[in-house]
Amino acid sequence: MGTFIKSEDNTSKMMFRVVIALIPIIIFSFYKNGVLPYINGSVSLYGMIKPLIFIAVATLSTFLFETIYQLIFNKNKKLKSIISNSYAYMPGLFLGLILPINTPISVLIVGAFCASIIGKMLFGGFGKNIFNPALIGRLFIISTYALVITENGGYLNGYEVDTISGATPLSNVSLITGIGTYKQLVAPFGSLWDFFIGTIPGAVGETSSLFCLVAFIYLTATKTIKWRIPTMYILTVFLMTLGIGLYNGVGIWYPLFQVLSGGLMFGAVFMATDPVTSPTTTEGQYIYGLSLGLLTVILRYLTPYPEGVLTSILTMNMLVFIIDSLGVKIKFNKKIMLIPSIILLILISVMTFTIGETKNVKEVKGDPNFEIIDKELDGYVTTYIVTEQGYSSKLKLEIKIEKDKVLSIEVLEGNDSFFSKVMDANYLETLKENQSNLDDCDTVSGATISSRALKKALINTLADYRGE
Amino acid sequence: MAGLKIPKMKHMSMKKLESYIKTEKVYIPFISSNDIDITPIIKKGDYVYKGQILGRRKGNFTTPIFSSVSGTVLDFTEVSHQSGKKVNAVIIENDFKEKLEEKYELRKNIEKMDKDEYIKIIEDCGIVGMGGAGFPTFMKYKTDKKIKTLLVNAVECEPYITTDYTILMEKCEDILETIDDILCINDIDEAIIAIKETNRELIEKVDRYLGTYLKIRIEEVPNKYPMGWERTLIKQVKKVDYDKLPIEKGIIVNNVSTIYAINQALKYNKPIIERIVTFTGEGIKKPQNILLKVGTKIDDVIKNTNGLKKDVTLVANGPMMGHKTDLDLVVTPDLNCVLVLQNKKVVRTQECLRCGKCANFCPANLCPVLIKDSVDNKEKLKNLHPEKCVSCGLCSYVCPSKIDVRDYVNRAKETLKGGK
Repeated sequence: MGTFIKSEDNTSKMMFRVVIALIPIIIFSFYKNGVLPYINGSVSLYGMIKPLIFIAVATLSTFLFETIYQLIFNKNKKLKSIISNSYAYMPGLFLGLILPINTPISVLIVGAFCASIIGKMLFGGFGKNIFNPALIGRLFIISTYALVITENGGYLNGYEVDTISGATPLSNVSLITGIGTYKQLVAPFGSLWDFFIGTIPGAVGETSSLFCLVAFIYLTATKTIKWRIPTMYILTVFLMTLGIGLYNGVGIWYPLFQVLSGGLMFGAVFMATDPVTSPTTTEGQYIYGLSLGLLTVILRYLTPYPEGVLTSILTMNMLVFIIDSLGVKIKFNKKIMLIPSIILLILISVMTFTIGETKNVKEVKGDPNFEIIDKELDGYVTTYIVTEQGYSSKLKLEIKIEKDKVLSIEVLEGNDSFFSKVMDANYLETLKENQSNLDDCDTVSGATISSRALKKALINTLADYRGE
Repeated sequence: MAGLKIPKMKHMSMKKLESYIKTEKVYIPFISSNDIDITPIIKKGDYVYKGQILGRRKGNFTTPIFSSVSGTVLDFTEVSHQSGKKVNAVIIENDFKEKLEEKYELRKNIEKMDKDEYIKIIEDCGIVGMGGAGFPTFMKYKTDKKIKTLLVNAVECEPYITTDYTILMEKCEDILETIDDILCINDIDEAIIAIKETNRELIEKVDRYLGTYLKIRIEEVPNKYPMGWERTLIKQVKKVDYDKLPIEKGIIVNNVSTIYAINQALKYNKPIIERIVTFTGEGIKKPQNILLKVGTKIDDVIKNTNGLKKDVTLVANGPMMGHKTDLDLVVTPDLNCVLVLQNKKVVRTQECLRCGKCANFCPANLCPVLIKDSVDNKEKLKNLHPEKCVSCGLCSYVCPSKIDVRDYVNRAKETLKGGK
């Protein structure tokens, strides 16, 4: 027997509030990716409204895919009520916001298909999916069409291509040896204020931490989301990066840079709190948020993928049922939390320390991919034959140095997919010209890994020449 | 602290108490503390006095069943009980003479009574918890432990119900006097009357009478549901948890209506044969509190008042813990309220979106959504402890997908009890 009075709130209203919370983010995205480039004259009128079209197409696609799926596979006649209760538009709406603006519309629709059908319907539909559908869509796109997107301009919108060289703040991190300085990490994109407002390169709707924060406050006040998850998530990332930063002697700007970069805020507020794919016990929600933070930091520092949020959330999605059963155990016996929490604290401290340590070592000395194959001295000129890991294969270079000056760089071997781009940009000449200040020498946008490899090879060779 | 603010809906019945509605027939149900195994000791055609014992429950808790009127036993029939069950009842034709077997005699010097005598009286008078559980009250006092605190529950956290409010407003002096007597007899250190902080009128009224009772104080508790549940209330007032019974921490909790019943028993040896019932809800024309004899059929009361609107649902007790009922419902000591709700459009339930609100608000600190997931899996349920549920209904109330979560928890309780 149910209760005879029910709360006013219902699932449709909750979903509606999530959409309301997304509206400022969509408007900001329109301004940043549409209006700003249009005013600047870098895109056409279509380009101006493209962010809106982009989000609308994604939203409509998942809605249509799910409707078609229901039409084919659902024998039940009450189709209308099923679709209106399944919130088919939600995965698409999110997907549209977490992809780069330069994703071709066709690719976007394929992603929407994956989000809706693979991410949601194959698990049994609304309320039964294990993984966040939007993230499944994005995972598919970035693992399959990364090249297409990069060739299309990557994460930079029309305005940013003209004003910012390089990539997104986080992919920039992986190009820097050591922990990096404010000048290297933040300055190329403006100030930390720009990071907070969101006028930095990134996915369509992910950049604005300000509006994510506004959404978080609104959704928490209206009891719509599991607020413990984003709170723990952000706090863990902040504290760990603070520790890493302090170990390397950089200021408070460093953890702030880490928290405000990439999709962390958006992911924590909207993706990690997806009710279907997150723990239901309050105790579990704390653990979930904490684990997400730990995992994101590990992924950002110890793997070549600088973002980490998507992978963290999808990984933790798998563990939700374990976390929930742990949460229930803690509910009835607080003491059993003692040992796991000590382990978790030790793990976090050790990870912070270890990462701080690895970042402290100058990469020059410990670059395992760099190898000197041959070194020949002919008069004043030293000829080096060296190899360095590129994007998909090893690069083999011949570098001639005379009296601490690079005379020539020649690529002997290198069939990287991006290599033509590097050559087109005449990057070898750029390196030669900037040889006295290589650390600040920008990489080629769209072929960052290949150009970085060249730069690293040169830095390492010079270091060897100078006997460092 | 778990719990949630829910609409109070109490204003509509907060009026002066209406007196008896005398009915031709009363239907005394043979049920006590949800036990229906009661042997009748009268037969058809017998003349019974008011307050005469009609039947006794078997086993340890021998709570007797009393006649609330004097008259002739007509027949046996079946009536609706507040728990939603149909129970046997004896029909007595009221001769309106209110004849007593023995005349009630006013007992004096109650505070000098010893504890055993006190327990005997409340046992013989069939005093049970009048808040809704119907637990025999003497069992609470029959303890070797030192009782430190008597917690008088006047929280009445369920929406709509105002019986505790009414009795405390009307009988404040008698109730305080009895609390003081109970403190003396049982050597209890203090008494705390718990009232919702939003109930200013009541707090002021009780406060005016408190002056000379130094051991009694009022505790204002937050307006949250289910603040009236023993465990929540003790946690709120005394900041302690207990395992099975509050007496472990030296606490006894009595409902304020029960205290009044104890008052009548101590003073006059009068058993529970009447109680205040709230008639309220959007579906009733004139919401009010009425003092009714046990066994009065709700149908008769409604005919005598202004009646019902069209298209309504009757609920015995409050909207959160109550059961659907019909006009055959009769008054029992554990019936607080007859709620008449206007039928609304049926709310469609949706797929559970796992928002975790049921777990968030559960006062017993359970995770109803996980219990729902493994409702038929005995092994998994063992770790989820559905047996700790008190059926407060908050999970069903908050569920945004309008799923009847409590029903799943109740089913889980059955699964756990049953075999594989």
